[in-house]
Amino acid sequence: MRSEREIREALHSWVLSKAKDLDSSALTDKTPLFEQRLLRSLHLPELLLFLERLRGEPIDVDDLRPGDFRDIDTLVLRFCGVQVSP
Amino acid sequence: MTASVAAASVDELRRNGLCWYPSGQAGLRGPLLALADGCDRAIVSLAAIWDASNERHPASLPAARLQRVDYLRSFPHQASLSARLDPSGLAEFLAGEVVGEHGEVTLTRLSPIREVLTPAACYHLYSSREGESFDRPLYLTTRNTCFRHESRYEPLRRLWSFTMREIVCLGTKAETVAFLQRARAAVDEFLRLMDVPVEWLTATDPFFQPQSNPKYLLQRVQPTKHEATYGGDLAIASLNLHHDHFGTAFGITRDGAPAHSACLAFGIERWLFAITQRHGTDPQSWPQPEDAAQKVRARQ
Repeated sequence: MRSEREIREALHSWVLSKAKDLDSSALTDKTPLFEQRLLRSLHLPELLLFLERLRGEPIDVDDLRPGDFRDIDTLVLRFCGVQVSP
Repeated sequence: MTASVAAASVDELRRNGLCWYPSGQAGLRGPLLALADGCDRAIVSLAAIWDASNERHPASLPAARLQRVDYLRSFPHQASLSARLDPSGLAEFLAGEVVGEHGEVTLTRLSPIREVLTPAACYHLYSSREGESFDRPLYLTTRNTCFRHESRYEPLRRLWSFTMREIVCLGTKAETVAFLQRARAAVDEFLRLMDVPVEWLTATDPFFQPQSNPKYLLQRVQPTKHEATYGGDLAIASLNLHHDHFGTAFGITRDGAPAHSACLAFGIERWLFAITQRHGTDPQSWPQPEDAAQKVRARQ
């Protein structure tokens, strides 16, 4: 099982790999990912798969709610909260 | 509460000028036509809040243009294609049955299809501005007959071809957000004066195979569409934030960056349904849309 820190680092790296113009120091766990257009709709299917790999179980699209993908903090708490270890 | 149409009310609507066709199309005459025209003029009057320029555009769009925004992959089930018989096959066509016993055209060869009947009025506003740059926000309004195939049709509620009037802002992100805020306030006031109660609901567009469409997924997690919903299930107006989707697709720039856009859209036939259900089918009891819109403008 991945630690919370490992999950956050993995998401941080993944976002930077997509938002190539973004300086890594400008990306915090509270940076709005889609609102600031760092990520686009075309990134969503891949992000869903990435989250499923991180948490080790599928995500039901019907369960998605507004704000679920707001920032890295939200992603960790919403999708990886149960699996996070100290 | 749902506001599904009853057979009796359809008969009353017919007496007021509704010509309903099983293809999902409505003709209007008499009081209903006057009400539809009044609603449209009222929305044009609301558009004057932003001093919006009125535009008129064709019935179809080039498929290649629509595909800039992936329309045919996102909504293939709704697309209405503009087809033409291939001139080289007309003799063969005329030698055949022409129209079959079930009303189907007995096809021979078709010419290549390059045009799609307008699915949303505002597409023309972006497509016709391809490559343009501007340094101030643009406020526009346009009306078109729009075509969207559906699995079923209901008089004045769910149509294959319907009348859409839109007010559009092209500008910066902040300008489009401000436009939507003001538009919502104007619509709320207009609806209050018309005594047509609605509930604003977040919504998604009717994507084909939505669960695998990135745009649908984004609309789920970051709502960009809010509908003024009458009777629990009938969207009579919608507020839509497109971000820079159309600006990027058509190379439209505002101060050197892809323009953002937002629209306020009205389905005129659905307004007829909501007004006649709310206020009855006696035209004397109908509210005056233009008067209501004038009052909204005066207060803005």
